[in-house]
Amino acid sequence: MIPGRKTVGDFDVRVWTGGAGSPILYLHGWEQHPGSAPFLQRLARTHEVIAPECPGYGTSTGFEHLHDLQDLILYTRELLASYGKGPVDVIGHSLGGMFAAELAIAAPHLVRRLVLAAPYGLWMDEHPLPDAFVLMPDALAKAQWHDPSKAADETSAFDPAAGDSAATYRTINLTTASKFMWPIPDRGLTRRLRYLAAPTLVIHGESDGLVPPVYEEAWAAGLPGVKTLRIADAGHVPMVEAEDAFVTAVNDFLG
Amino acid sequence: MKMKFHWFAEATYPHLPDDFPERGLSSWVNTPRELMDPVKVGEMYHMFIRLMQQADRDGFDGLAVNEHHQTPFAMTPSPNLLAAALASTTQNAAILIIGDSLALYNPPTRVAEEMAYMDCVTGGRVIAGFVFGTPMDSVFAYGNPPPELRDRFHEARKLIQRAWDAKEPFAFNGRYTKLRYVNTWPKPVQEKIPIWVPGSGSLETWDLVIDENYCYGHLSFSGLHSAKPMVDAYWDYVEKRGGDMNPHRMAFTQLICCAATDAEAEAKYYEAVRYFYRMNTLQPAFTMAPGYTSIRSQQAMAEHIKNSPGLKPEDRARAQKGEMSFWEYDDKGYIIAGTPQRVRQRVRDLAKDLRIGQLIGCLHMGDLVEEVAGENTYLFGNEVIPHLRDLWADQPDYWTPKVSQQRVAARAQAASAAKVAAQ
Repeated sequence: MIPGRKTVGDFDVRVWTGGAGSPILYLHGWEQHPGSAPFLQRLARTHEVIAPECPGYGTSTGFEHLHDLQDLILYTRELLASYGKGPVDVIGHSLGGMFAAELAIAAPHLVRRLVLAAPYGLWMDEHPLPDAFVLMPDALAKAQWHDPSKAADETSAFDPAAGDSAATYRTINLTTASKFMWPIPDRGLTRRLRYLAAPTLVIHGESDGLVPPVYEEAWAAGLPGVKTLRIADAGHVPMVEAEDAFVTAVNDFLG
Repeated sequence: MKMKFHWFAEATYPHLPDDFPERGLSSWVNTPRELMDPVKVGEMYHMFIRLMQQADRDGFDGLAVNEHHQTPFAMTPSPNLLAAALASTTQNAAILIIGDSLALYNPPTRVAEEMAYMDCVTGGRVIAGFVFGTPMDSVFAYGNPPPELRDRFHEARKLIQRAWDAKEPFAFNGRYTKLRYVNTWPKPVQEKIPIWVPGSGSLETWDLVIDENYCYGHLSFSGLHSAKPMVDAYWDYVEKRGGDMNPHRMAFTQLICCAATDAEAEAKYYEAVRYFYRMNTLQPAFTMAPGYTSIRSQQAMAEHIKNSPGLKPEDRARAQKGEMSFWEYDDKGYIIAGTPQRVRQRVRDLAKDLRIGQLIGCLHMGDLVEEVAGENTYLFGNEVIPHLRDLWADQPDYWTPKVSQQRVAARAQAASAAKVAAQ
């Protein structure tokens, strides 16, 4: 995966691209873009992977132009259209899962199949999600990982050369995440799910404490025909904690 | 114009169990409600109303009320409720609402209406404080996404000021508030209600108060030494930007413990001071939120502290845990305690050192009994304030209402005439 930059309207973002084959758009999770992650490299063996960083994360700019979710989705649509690839498969992780589903709803002509891994966006009163922003580091690691020692395997888009400290990089990222997740990570996707036409696979890590697998039920209720899959020995970041299972599931579904 | 002294207290719930801090409970956002007896809360509210009515008679320039949510530390979810009770039962002092958390009012014309109501009731004695609210209040208790808070605040602020000034109805098409007809009744008595904006060191807030010439407030509760780096940095910043250096546009909070003798002060106030600090067991997770403070301001604050560290972190921790002796609290600046003579001198030094024209004295703290708070109010009002009126007397004060200035001065004259007659 090769890092680069792309300008679309008011937004100037980092994009990691690589591989050849049927194209995949990858939308990263709530904490950060994973950079040139091993799982992306593996997907790039059989696909052309386009993995942009969300405006407001890292050094990607334009956050101030995002008044609401619709602004972000329309920007993402324009970004995707600018590659001129026609319909592509979209993988969204965590908060990126919410964005991916919204993109498929807003731009059905650009999305072929959809994979949502530990996606935010839905809310079950009987299973309230924990507040990811108040968990102290230990508690967050416990919620996020099946085996917290695996957190060390997670790659990052942190670039010390950009001049920010690691702490500042995280604050920048979470500030942007809070725009769409605070105080409850529900921006109305539930009532729009009926417009989601792309074949969709929802993946949960069995040990995910941030978005627990019981949320499968909410996806199934709003999206008849959705395929669901639980990955064992994985939490909120199954593409890192169970890379083989994740990549296999994605490739099987996308075909 | 003379230096001003405002009466204030955090309306702290005084009946928390003694082992509250040891239980690891948070004093904000999710404090167990079973620890609160609403009948006692009612008694507490009545006590604060009585004390502030006394402060009005005892020569204070303003009666300060504030807004906090979901905390036993300060049970004033709407400062306007307490302010309204004072507005209709006091005669002299300004009603210092410091302040309404603008982002939390929907629509914010509510603030324009309620403050105008109080300005009418008091005949023009209202000071309008506009606050962002702490992270605990505004983003955790009230759920605002942190990166939207400042935007919401500014939009509301502009709407409120325009609502006060407007000669005719107007439409307001904001990002967060859309109103076809803004035309608030009542309107304020004062042509310009003085506006105060407290901050905790954000450059954006400093720019705002400089640009709008608002009164700035550094409302910490840890005194001179702790605040000095930030307050000095603030004044440097004002000077660099060519802002108004008038001390009357700087407010500061200070715990005051006045008694007939120093020994009496220790005996009467020590446990209440410890209660005030010990029981405020803030959880780190609720004291910050990503985006609440801008990166630029975070870096600037870190720089100020690095250049001039103020209090040592271990001292701050000990103060918070109630592990300082009474006189160490005094020595480190957390409280100003002792006889009126001693308090006078220490307040004078503080005001000069930090360049403060508006002192917001905390005359009640923690679980202090009403009788002692009343004595504190009496002594400070009659034995301290009159001796400090020479401070900053050469500077104009546009940040206190004219009506309260006149009435407080008239009351002081009458009091001193009565004193002479009695002698």
